[in-house]
Amino acid sequence: MRRLKERRSAPEEAVDIDPRAMGALIEQSQDIHHDAMQVTDASLSEMVESGMEERAHGAIDPEESRDVAARRSRMMTGAAFGGGLLAAAGIGAALQGLFASDAFAASATDVQILQTASSIEVLAVATYKTALTLPFIGGSAANPVVKAFATTTMQQHAQHLAAFNAAITQLGGKAQTNPDPALNKVVTAAVPGLTSPGPVVALALELEQGAAETYVADVAALSDLNAKKVTASIMGVEAQHASVLLAVQALLNANAPQLITLAPGNVANLPAAAGSVGFPQAFFPTDQARPATEGALS
Amino acid sequence: MRRRTQNQEVLAISEHELTVMTNDLDQMHHDIGMPAMNAAVAEWTEKIRTSRRGFLIGAGAVAGGALLAACSSGSSSPTTTAAPKSAAAGGSSMSGKLTGDLAVAALAASLENLAVAAYGDVLTAAGAGKLGTVPPAVATFVTTAKGQHAQHAQAWNSAIVAAGHPAITETDPVLTPIITADFAKVTDVPGAANLALTLENGAAQTYQNAISVVKATSSVKVAASIQPVEMQHAAILYFALGQYPVPNAFNPVTDARPLTDYTG
Repeated sequence: MRRLKERRSAPEEAVDIDPRAMGALIEQSQDIHHDAMQVTDASLSEMVESGMEERAHGAIDPEESRDVAARRSRMMTGAAFGGGLLAAAGIGAALQGLFASDAFAASATDVQILQTASSIEVLAVATYKTALTLPFIGGSAANPVVKAFATTTMQQHAQHLAAFNAAITQLGGKAQTNPDPALNKVVTAAVPGLTSPGPVVALALELEQGAAETYVADVAALSDLNAKKVTASIMGVEAQHASVLLAVQALLNANAPQLITLAPGNVANLPAAAGSVGFPQAFFPTDQARPATEGALS
Repeated sequence: MRRRTQNQEVLAISEHELTVMTNDLDQMHHDIGMPAMNAAVAEWTEKIRTSRRGFLIGAGAVAGGALLAACSSGSSSPTTTAAPKSAAAGGSSMSGKLTGDLAVAALAASLENLAVAAYGDVLTAAGAGKLGTVPPAVATFVTTAKGQHAQHAQAWNSAIVAAGHPAITETDPVLTPIITADFAKVTDVPGAANLALTLENGAAQTYQNAISVVKATSSVKVAASIQPVEMQHAAILYFALGQYPVPNAFNPVTDARPLTDYTG
């Protein structure tokens, strides 16, 4: 709240970028994105074929699927928890040992994993949508870079949701359009406290980090090659979202919101520590990965 | 570079707080990231030790062919006459070809070696004043990213060494002359950042491609734990260059290095 008041009293410090330049950058990004999307489309097309083939050999066995889900859930909750809001919800564990089972139900489990991924994306879209209704994120008092980031990231999550749900459908499962139930409670509880940029960034960071870690774990758990490709094409993007949010959070905490800008030459003004705050670990962890069945449809 | 007095006060606070935060995050890395990675590498190397004739090694001829086909969908090898730059004289070379997952690991290790060498060259050039004024954040970025790439190289090499082969210490033989030639033209920080971006995106896309190519789950885990970190390096480089830091909703693999970089 203190930072919000300061920024309102000196908005010229926060507005440090040409909106037209930002628009051009976003447009360039979207062009690149369309190229990248072709790769994902190709993976999904391949998945259609393999999904049809699998269905021709028998549908998903709900009993087998539930059994796999129960075992994964036990493994996840039995492992060490990480920090942060997600851990506070009682969640977070590595996927060690998952693959020891001979009874691994490939396609059924893949659908469950992808449904959980969809549920995370549903929640991410909703959370950014809510954030953008706040004057200091999506309104006139917002930092333009933060506003553009929230807008673009919401769109990217919507695209991730569409990709995951397409993958689910193609594997013979039902698309997930509801938010992750456990995470949704965390977000709902956090909303009243979103009174300044700091808590919003912290909440978004928890979601992005959790999503990225979940997908990192998922690529090793998925059996279907194309589901794996789609997930792999998304996990690093969530990690980049987290990286940006880490940098923004550090600058907000340091009372330097004016440095959250894409203005040419801004890098010269950044503190030394800003150069590494966005990638704190050499190896991406999975301790905050969501349980694979958390967002699965029963 | 001169800053306003007010900014200096703000930045003095920022520097301290950010340094504390960075130290905390570094601690987190050792508490969380490293144990998880160590477990994955341990699993990887144990599988190799216990199945020398298994899918990783024994099936090399077949798997190698499949890998070659899968990986060759990446960008074609650039042509240059510049001499390759060896990252470490006297180390093992890539002449003794590996196959299967180990070939992918060898390619990855050579890319990490190249990144370490390139960032080292940037630090040397910066120290010699060849890049103009180097912002403190850039210096921190280069030093930290270089250290993380060294850790990545070690992780990739762990499987190779566990299989009884010498560690890969050479840099990617196809990409190295390209980077060397490009770096010779760099005269400032943005130029160096753009070159680093090429390396980071290339590495991330190569590992992303590897996830769908390697056979062992433990190999997938290693690739998956490193790919997002290279993408985070790229995001910060974009930000430093004044570009939007997350340009793609789906990361492509069009710039993934082909396995022919390693297999020749």
